[in-house]
Amino acid sequence: MKKILIIILAGFVFSITSCTDQLNQYPAGELSIDNYYKTESDAITAVDGIYAILVHSTKNTPLYGDQILYLNDLASDYMITGSNSNSPETRAISTDSYDASNFEVQCTWEQIYKGISRANISIDKIPNVEGSQTLKSRLINEAKFLRALLYFNAVQFWGDVPLIEHTEYSADKLNRAPVDSVYSFIIKDLKDAQNLPATQTDPGRATSGAATALLSRVYLVHSSLPSANVTDDLNNAVKYASNVISGGQYQLFSNFYDAFDPAKKNGKEHIFSAQYSVGQESGWAGNATAHCVWSTYFNGQTPVLIVSDTTLFYKSYAVGDQRREGSYAKQLYNPSTNSVYVFEIPRFRKYIDTTNVLAWYSSAINTDIIRYADVYFTLAESLNELGGPDNVYNGISAYNALNEIRRRAFREGKYSINSNNPSPNSHDLSGLSKDQFREILQKERYFEFVTEQTRWFDLVRWKKLVQSIKLIPAKSSVSIRNYRFPIPDSERKLNPTGLWQNYGYTGSTITTSPYDVTYK
Amino acid sequence: MIKVLQKYRRTGWSLQKIGVITFLLISSLTICAQQKKIVVKGRVLDDKTNEAIIGAAIKIRGLEKEIQIGTVSDVNGNFSIDVKSFPVTLSISYLGYQGQEFDIYEYTVPVTLYLSQNLNSLNEVVVVGYGTQKRKELTGSISSIPDNLLKQPVLSFDQLIGGAVPGLVVNQNSGQPGASSTVRIRGGNSINGGNEPLYVIDGFIVYNDNSNSKTSEAKTNLVSNADANLNLLSTINPSDIESVEVLKDASATAVYGTRGANGVIIITTKKGKKGSNNVSYQSTFGWSEIAKKPNLLNGQQWWSLYKTIVPQSDWKDPSKDGFDPTKTFDWVGAALRKGLTQDHQISISGGDAKSRYAVSGNYTSQDGILKNTGYERYSFRANLEKDVYKNFRFGINAIGSHSKQNTLGSLSNDNVVNTWVSLLRSSPVVPIYNADGTFNYNNPFSVNAQENALADLLTTTSETKVNRVLGNFFAEYKILPSLTAKVNLGTDLLGSDQNYFAPANSGGGRQTNGYATKGSKTVDSWQSEFTLNYDKTFDNIHHVGALLGYTFQRSDMEYSEAISTNFLNETTTYNSLQSGSASTPYSGAQTDVLISYLGRINYTLLDRYNLTTTLRADGSSRFGSNNHWGYFPSLGLSWNANDEKFLKGYKDLSNLKLRISAGSTGNQEIPAYLYESTLEPQTYSYGGTVVTGYASTITKYNPDLKWERTAQYDAGFDLGLWKDRLTLTFDAYYKKTSDLLLLLPVQAATGYENTYSNIGAVSNKGVELGLNVQVIKSKDFNWSSVLTWSSNKNEVLNLGGLDQIQPEFPAAGALSTVYPTIVKPGLPLGTFYGYQFAGVVQKGDDLTKIAAPSWITGYTAQPGDPKFVDQNGDGKITPEDKVILGNAQPKFTLGFNNSFTYKKFDLSFYIAVSYGNKLYNALENKLELVNRTYNSSAILANSWTTTNASTTVPRAYEASTFNMDSRYIEDASYLKLKNLSIGYTFPFRVKGVDNKSSLRIFATAQNLLTLTKYSGFDPESSRVGNSSYEQSPLYQGVDYGAYPSSKTFLLGLNINL
Repeated sequence: MKKILIIILAGFVFSITSCTDQLNQYPAGELSIDNYYKTESDAITAVDGIYAILVHSTKNTPLYGDQILYLNDLASDYMITGSNSNSPETRAISTDSYDASNFEVQCTWEQIYKGISRANISIDKIPNVEGSQTLKSRLINEAKFLRALLYFNAVQFWGDVPLIEHTEYSADKLNRAPVDSVYSFIIKDLKDAQNLPATQTDPGRATSGAATALLSRVYLVHSSLPSANVTDDLNNAVKYASNVISGGQYQLFSNFYDAFDPAKKNGKEHIFSAQYSVGQESGWAGNATAHCVWSTYFNGQTPVLIVSDTTLFYKSYAVGDQRREGSYAKQLYNPSTNSVYVFEIPRFRKYIDTTNVLAWYSSAINTDIIRYADVYFTLAESLNELGGPDNVYNGISAYNALNEIRRRAFREGKYSINSNNPSPNSHDLSGLSKDQFREILQKERYFEFVTEQTRWFDLVRWKKLVQSIKLIPAKSSVSIRNYRFPIPDSERKLNPTGLWQNYGYTGSTITTSPYDVTYK
Repeated sequence: MIKVLQKYRRTGWSLQKIGVITFLLISSLTICAQQKKIVVKGRVLDDKTNEAIIGAAIKIRGLEKEIQIGTVSDVNGNFSIDVKSFPVTLSISYLGYQGQEFDIYEYTVPVTLYLSQNLNSLNEVVVVGYGTQKRKELTGSISSIPDNLLKQPVLSFDQLIGGAVPGLVVNQNSGQPGASSTVRIRGGNSINGGNEPLYVIDGFIVYNDNSNSKTSEAKTNLVSNADANLNLLSTINPSDIESVEVLKDASATAVYGTRGANGVIIITTKKGKKGSNNVSYQSTFGWSEIAKKPNLLNGQQWWSLYKTIVPQSDWKDPSKDGFDPTKTFDWVGAALRKGLTQDHQISISGGDAKSRYAVSGNYTSQDGILKNTGYERYSFRANLEKDVYKNFRFGINAIGSHSKQNTLGSLSNDNVVNTWVSLLRSSPVVPIYNADGTFNYNNPFSVNAQENALADLLTTTSETKVNRVLGNFFAEYKILPSLTAKVNLGTDLLGSDQNYFAPANSGGGRQTNGYATKGSKTVDSWQSEFTLNYDKTFDNIHHVGALLGYTFQRSDMEYSEAISTNFLNETTTYNSLQSGSASTPYSGAQTDVLISYLGRINYTLLDRYNLTTTLRADGSSRFGSNNHWGYFPSLGLSWNANDEKFLKGYKDLSNLKLRISAGSTGNQEIPAYLYESTLEPQTYSYGGTVVTGYASTITKYNPDLKWERTAQYDAGFDLGLWKDRLTLTFDAYYKKTSDLLLLLPVQAATGYENTYSNIGAVSNKGVELGLNVQVIKSKDFNWSSVLTWSSNKNEVLNLGGLDQIQPEFPAAGALSTVYPTIVKPGLPLGTFYGYQFAGVVQKGDDLTKIAAPSWITGYTAQPGDPKFVDQNGDGKITPEDKVILGNAQPKFTLGFNNSFTYKKFDLSFYIAVSYGNKLYNALENKLELVNRTYNSSAILANSWTTTNASTTVPRAYEASTFNMDSRYIEDASYLKLKNLSIGYTFPFRVKGVDNKSSLRIFATAQNLLTLTKYSGFDPESSRVGNSSYEQSPLYQGVDYGAYPSSKTFLLGLNINL
């Protein structure tokens, strides 16, 4: 009987001592942040997950497949919602009458921070992954590039925004941080990202060129802020833009259309784009912007996004400027009727896959984030602001930079159709004052970047947002408050004081406009 | 006895042969008359414990009233008595036991007589957590399910226990044989967690999660397509159950710690008895039929409605399109049948001085009232116990079963959510069969090319098969007479398979040219339990009981599922998924570990003052590393006041006990791994090459996540009058559950959208009353009656800053757009929320004043339109005009259980009442949405027209938007005659068998009568369309096409040898 007692006691002691550690159970069938980030492959797929935020959305359209386009282009002067827009949220963006409860504003905010969080996790976890140091550094720098890009969008839309730098952070980090600290962080990330390789095996990954090009744009935008040291910023913008150009890695396509040809994606002019391919996503089988500009097909209805005023915008191109037909489709071939359909109001063309017009839902056209043309613009604008159109850096003047763009637009010089017999550079600019040059450059930026997520940022930088948008009667409710987007109500509900509201929106405690007289 | 057993062996175990034996046994009844004086020897035993009863009085009852001779049983329970003639009646009595009389017809071997403890006696021993206790010494609120209900022939024991004890509410969600029920003890505590009680089956702890019979991932409804889950309680043969105790207050449940908050139901299976061998066989046959017929439009009414709503140019033509508007084709009738039921039980039990055994086998099958549905079970049980030494015994309890359920197929069609609704909605003018008897697949009104709801029902297979082995081994060692050590090792092995096949011409397979799935899931649990029990009385004044224990439980769940479509040949169905095109298979796994230390002290002073205190520490893997461990204390006090001197004078008062208890329990039934941040695949492409990346889901991890905690306070009394012929139990309680798990939004800057937090609170308060009366107690006629009444008030106290939650009804067709329920502080769970119907617009009404429904674009009012109350007076009907429309929780429930015996006749009936509960009749809501494709509710025959200015039924027009309003929130109070049973017992004896033998024949009717205002099929129905949510507290009170309930008639016989 003693035997039995001993056995019972032994069993008891054994089970008590052996079991306590079993309380730590992890999901066997799912990846979790505790059983992931271990191998090189984990590191790669984690960074792929950051890229995915550019083209995926959990509850609305993707960031670079509508959201940023809405807040940027649709909220600006040239774009408006068409008859097919059934969303009051989108229409409120279009008429600049949105408030802090606007779903599009909320979703853009949420998407941006999801991406930042993914980048933070990768940047913090990848150093501990087993694997090649070169690969790990590269992946971390790609994550930094993406984090900078997302913060750059956020700081332009909202001004002061929460600056989350790591996976773990103190609660006060969820409050809005001053604009300048956000910019310093962006610049730090981009300088690290400049260590990326110039070219990547996988087309579409961030490169050193992308980091440098974005850095020059960041400095240019920062130069317009009240706190900026304008000369330093512009000098930096010039320096980095010039570095990209002198590197010789990128070139403008001779044919403007080629920049939006799905067969020529990630070509010589593309510095960084959100990548789309057919069938990559379950909800949208391709670039969702194609839906918004082309969902009505061949009929009199207008799609969700349409040009606001054809006289002011579509018809403002000079004769021979191929950017008009590259940006707008007045007519399209309809394969189902075997005829050409002429639209009363032209459609935005860049995202329509003209090789397969009937399948807008599977448009595999990338959304350009930085195109080489933008580097010329940044250089031209910065040089002009520093010393006028003749201002030269590293052998290139503001004129040279902008004329490069115009020569391609009119297919002159080396961009001629017949390169053996180049056309004269008859559209080159010269003899302009600093102000005249600025005026023309601003128009040129519109001609060049229709539907490329830059118009609202430009109008804000140039401090002419209200006066430009006011020209469109449907957007007459625009006012000085629209220089910033409101912090979404859904966010402020969770942190009302730390996420104080921007001027002019319900809930804001700022009673006098923070925008000085130069904002028009 | 041995002879009988040998006979069985020779003839095999076939059921027909058992019937033959039965007949032979009856015919071999012998009644002898002998004149010799004979010494009858025997033994008196307790029928539950098989312990000898010492000092029982044995008397011979003569024809006259006075007792002639008497004797007393000795220390081993043995007695001998002189008998003059046979037959003779021995009358046995002993304090605390029910007096009994035994007829002896002849005497060859010593007889064994059993006495049952008097149920009303305070010496009754009650099963409590990890042990037993005398009822007199209890401090907690514990009720036992009455014996006569446990004996009823039901498929699953939970079918009859609702209301059988105060505070226990059971809802039979569906008429599908083997379907699950929702069981609530003293109301629901949780919003997102489980609310089902904990079951302890022979010491093995089981949380009855019926989704364990569902093989697909809980989040999706991808595989299975079974419209209902198999009720895992039905895997236990109810006839194997000896007793069911319901533990309600914290003093009773806190010993189960983090799993005790929803109450505990302890099930003990039948054990063998010392000193006798018992064979019993029971067989029942019967049928079920639909309890209530649907009320739909007939062919002519439907055709006339069709012509009203469809422009004449679009009318289908009877001569060309193959339908007949002059006839009514009864689709429902063609699908219904009398479902046959049969059940066979055999059990053999007994024991000698040192060992006890009980084995049983069962086969039961119940056809559903809808064709191609039903339930079947094979089960066995073996309980063995052996006293190895005076102070050491061990035993084994094992239950094994195989259950198979055929259910309706669930359809992903908004208008016909399952094959039953598909039948209800089939146009009555369309023939079911072609002239040649084949199915008519040509429904000209259908949007699909081919459609025949009856064929769907008959050709679609949706089956769930569950194999379960539930068993434990225990060994008990008495270290000292007062100190016992016990080891209990148990396991619950559960394996489910689900097969589904819908051919290409059926509703479930049409879109994919055939649809087949196979899923399997195993949930294997292991439990080891070590306890030390101390029990001693000092100086006849202090009685001390103490328990110390350690338990470890681990549960591993794995599942896999595969889907295939586009079958070129349908012969192989789901047995050859490779014959179709298979999509990506799924699999998953989950592990739960619970480690616990527990302790309890019972102290009784002077047999009058009782104290129970418990403490349990639980370490659970369900929670984040910061919160593995939780501590759950309780304290209960009771006072047997009737034993005080000042009450001794009241002779009528046989018991008065005052009880009070308080304690804290937990609920860990939340989904696993919520404390973890999981990653999900996300695709991207590099230059057209698609890659898969991983990124966090939208839900932020919370390492601080812990159990939900319920603090419960209970005060009550037990009153017994006239030697306990009348007993009354009263309890009042207050429960506050806090740290409720809620999904709260988080700031987007965190990178997530929401996180689970322990932040909400819900309260339940209520009173319970149980009245037990032996109304008539005489030699020939007995009537006992149990009445229970309970009332619970539930209230959501706090949602962690959220104003309200409107649960989404996922994958539930039309329900996913109406949000019929609301969870809001100040309101009970199960509150309905919608528009208030305000009648029908009449001619002459000012049409400009009719508030326009926001869901109709360009609305212009016209006579016959439905009106809704514009609560905020803004001239529009918008979601802001939704109001509270009632609640699914009853104001009170009542159970009334009666049993009568008259000589050898017995009769019992059980009535269950629920009052004040409402139900959202979503099916009726859908059936009244006028549509040219489907049949509709008969109410629409009374639609508003200029000549029939109905005030409640709007004009017939084709509406597409599905909305919920107050018309469909119906009073679902009910009175149900759940069970009526009548029987007659023939006592007999078999030569050479010393046991009391009997043959009982009986007839039973279940669900015979329902009185209710509810217009749907059954006021207990609940179906939201995703079987994962059957037991969820958020989705109760919605009846959207549940399997119709039936009434059942059974005939049976029971032989005891």
